[in-house]
Amino acid sequence: MNRPGSPPLPRRLSAPAAQGAALVPGQAGVRALTLDNGLKIIVWSDPSIPSVALHNWVRVGSRNEVQGLTGLAHFFEHMMFNGTARHGAGEFDSLMEAQGGSNNAFTCDDVTVYQDWFPRGALDLVFELEADRIQGLSLDPALIESERGVVYSERLLRVDDNNQGYLSEQVQAQAFSAHPYRFPTIGLPDDIRGWTAGDLRQFYRTYYAPNNQTIVLVGDVTHEEAFALARRHLARLPRQPDPPAVQVREPEQFAERRVIVRRPAQLALLQYAYKAPAATDPLGPALNLLLAALVDGNASRLHRLLVEQRMIAQDVAADWHQGFDPSLCWFWFTLAEGVDPHAARDIIDTELAGIAAGGLADADLIRARNLNAANFWKQLSTIDGKAHLLGEFDALRGGWRKLFQAPERYAAVTRADISAAARLLLNPRRRTVGMLLPC
Amino acid sequence: MLKPARIIEFNVKGFGVPAHERMVLANGLTLVIVPRREVPLVAFQMLIRGGAVGDPPGRAGVASLTAGLLDKGAGARDAAEFAESVEGAGGSFAAGAGPECLSINGQFLAHDQERMLELLADAVMAPRFAAEEFARQQLRQVGHIRSLKDSDPSELLPLYGRALLFGAHPYGQPPGGSEDSLQAVVLKDVIDYHRAHIGADRAVLVIAGDVDVAWLKAAVEERFGAWRVAAAPLPDVAPTLKLRRRRVLLVDSPGSAQSYFWLGATGLDRAYPQRAALDLVNSLFGGRFTSLLNSELRIRTGLSYGAGSGFTRGRVAGEFAIRSFAETRHSVRAIDLALRTLSRLKREGITQEMLDSARSYVIGQYPMNLETAADWAAQLAELELYGLDRTYIEGYGPALRRASLEDARQVIRQAFPVGRQLAVVVIGDAQQVRQRLERYGPVQQIQLAAGNFS
Repeated sequence: MNRPGSPPLPRRLSAPAAQGAALVPGQAGVRALTLDNGLKIIVWSDPSIPSVALHNWVRVGSRNEVQGLTGLAHFFEHMMFNGTARHGAGEFDSLMEAQGGSNNAFTCDDVTVYQDWFPRGALDLVFELEADRIQGLSLDPALIESERGVVYSERLLRVDDNNQGYLSEQVQAQAFSAHPYRFPTIGLPDDIRGWTAGDLRQFYRTYYAPNNQTIVLVGDVTHEEAFALARRHLARLPRQPDPPAVQVREPEQFAERRVIVRRPAQLALLQYAYKAPAATDPLGPALNLLLAALVDGNASRLHRLLVEQRMIAQDVAADWHQGFDPSLCWFWFTLAEGVDPHAARDIIDTELAGIAAGGLADADLIRARNLNAANFWKQLSTIDGKAHLLGEFDALRGGWRKLFQAPERYAAVTRADISAAARLLLNPRRRTVGMLLPC
Repeated sequence: MLKPARIIEFNVKGFGVPAHERMVLANGLTLVIVPRREVPLVAFQMLIRGGAVGDPPGRAGVASLTAGLLDKGAGARDAAEFAESVEGAGGSFAAGAGPECLSINGQFLAHDQERMLELLADAVMAPRFAAEEFARQQLRQVGHIRSLKDSDPSELLPLYGRALLFGAHPYGQPPGGSEDSLQAVVLKDVIDYHRAHIGADRAVLVIAGDVDVAWLKAAVEERFGAWRVAAAPLPDVAPTLKLRRRRVLLVDSPGSAQSYFWLGATGLDRAYPQRAALDLVNSLFGGRFTSLLNSELRIRTGLSYGAGSGFTRGRVAGEFAIRSFAETRHSVRAIDLALRTLSRLKREGITQEMLDSARSYVIGQYPMNLETAADWAAQLAELELYGLDRTYIEGYGPALRRASLEDARQVIRQAFPVGRQLAVVVIGDAQQVRQRLERYGPVQQIQLAAGNFS
């Protein structure tokens, strides 16, 4: 609020020449090493805090599963914390915590990622523990049974007692007719109850090969230290045959599919899952900017229309699943009380058809580009964010070096690129629509 | 199973407060500036003392609606123009109400900090409070509670829990309101709240990131120098009391596959002197993966995806609470196990080996909580809010290293409740669990769909 008569504020900083073309501080110091057995180590030394983030990206997820054994990749992730020939059950966590470290892991359609966060003094221990569990897992039958209960509880939390999660699982199952992307990562209930130690052993042998993993370290560690530790602890793991490639190609979809679910609920839900390209698609940056323009923030097109102007939605969100194979781009709409999903669908479709035909306004593109740039810097402001981005680019987006080209690639996106992305994506014949109606 | 813990070298880098400048403007606004240049971003955190404890009786949610409306039209911009101005620059801007303060925070690209100050100043000094935006915000906040009931009901446990534990005390009221209380609020309540409780003398503003300190000081003076003071005195908060008899609330969610439970008791305030020992003991009891609670409910029995505990410490004593969940048929088994684990802590305490492990863990994890400019903005603002100084951070490392088994014993005695002091909340299928919950005491029951948390 400028008051009359007050002196004008001096302009403080001149804006960087082109926001997108900015160099990432420290990027020149990133180093990678591939051991003879195929295991890759990427190191970004950043001593701003006395801590290290280590992420191990294993190229296996629910995409690699088969009917009857859905959820196996995720269950296996849980078993990776449950003991080896050298360290009994629970020791992985207790040893790491006693040296100041914590850990977690996540599984998705394409990858399984193990994360450790620890003070640099625990480096040797963490390497020892990680090397140990990728070669000597014990898979104790009693622990398999108790972990089944844990995962079943996780499923009830995320699916059975969660309307949004429940509907998503139904939509995902309809959206694919052949590709394993139709399997829920958490696993179907009978599969969770059914898998055996033999299934787990087979899975371990097949996918936890050094040549199927990339370890990323970011933080208070030099690349010399990290490479020396990797050679000491990980070089002896034998290279294995490459895991079998996923051959299934999802056939082209020519007609809209629909799922309608009735459940106890206060608010109706509407979901769209459009067929979308793989992570490495050249239209990727344009597609991500399109989604940002549509749903990120209060000024985004769909938020403004549905939540502010028409007041028919409580919340809108979207996510393009960027995987090895072409997958889905999701839109989730939590509708306002009493709103009929069919009526909401008509309003949304008119807006999306307009965007597919006419593209976005300049202001939409500028907003999306700036939000994207700010988000990029935000992620790069933590050692964990850096480790995640390096791993994601290396595993899924054509190599870690591409991370540092991202600002430039996003800055180069034009309105015409976004229009092309919108025409490709927003095709109602290539989508599955889910509705949850309160009963 | 545990090897002797190696105490990691205390590293001052993790516990040092970064260089910053602090000043108080003539109108009472406290300004803290923290220059940090690793990425071209600037973060701000403003806290305004007062918060939901200033809500009028029966109208919980006034402070929260006020906060939510600050950016829905302010100064020269209507709601859409304000949003476009923030997001068009790649910025973020969020406001909400906690029990004891309003919080407004955001982050902008460094070259937009002039715009950032203008937007923030407009939001707190010249919000429009348009009637149609008020109606929208009210609907949106009611809808938010309903969508949590549909898709993430366990998030609401603390609201039911505090209502049961603290009753009519301000800490018992939901800071975001309930469906019913939000609908009782009128626009005038919001305008009155703004006049009474939002002003320069109540506020601290911390700006951290890629800034020029001299320029920023002048710019803040310029933008905020004319901000008036709050018209009302800071709301008083009476001490909270401990329960003398256990209370049990069942929130009926027909068909729920699991029971989500919260076991809470009146705990400690922000000034509690044994903070380091408290954090060590809580990390052992329910604050890390191998904690006693998670070991029992997840690792040993496979009953639950997870279990944990924590303390919420305010100007007066907030709550200690345990949270977990289990399949409906295992509800009582899981709650019993959580209660037995608490009794075991009270009875057996902890060992030196456990204490040393927790010490390494808390020291080792600490630097990652204060890594970014936004983290520091939030932390330093909180220190100002509670009148704490930098020794709260700088003294924490040495205090963690000093904490002894005797300190831990004292904390376990003082801070962790005995069973009769607990309020028990269960969100689950009443038809299947009600009878079995009666072993914990007389059961009050409400529907998840009801419009209030008590």
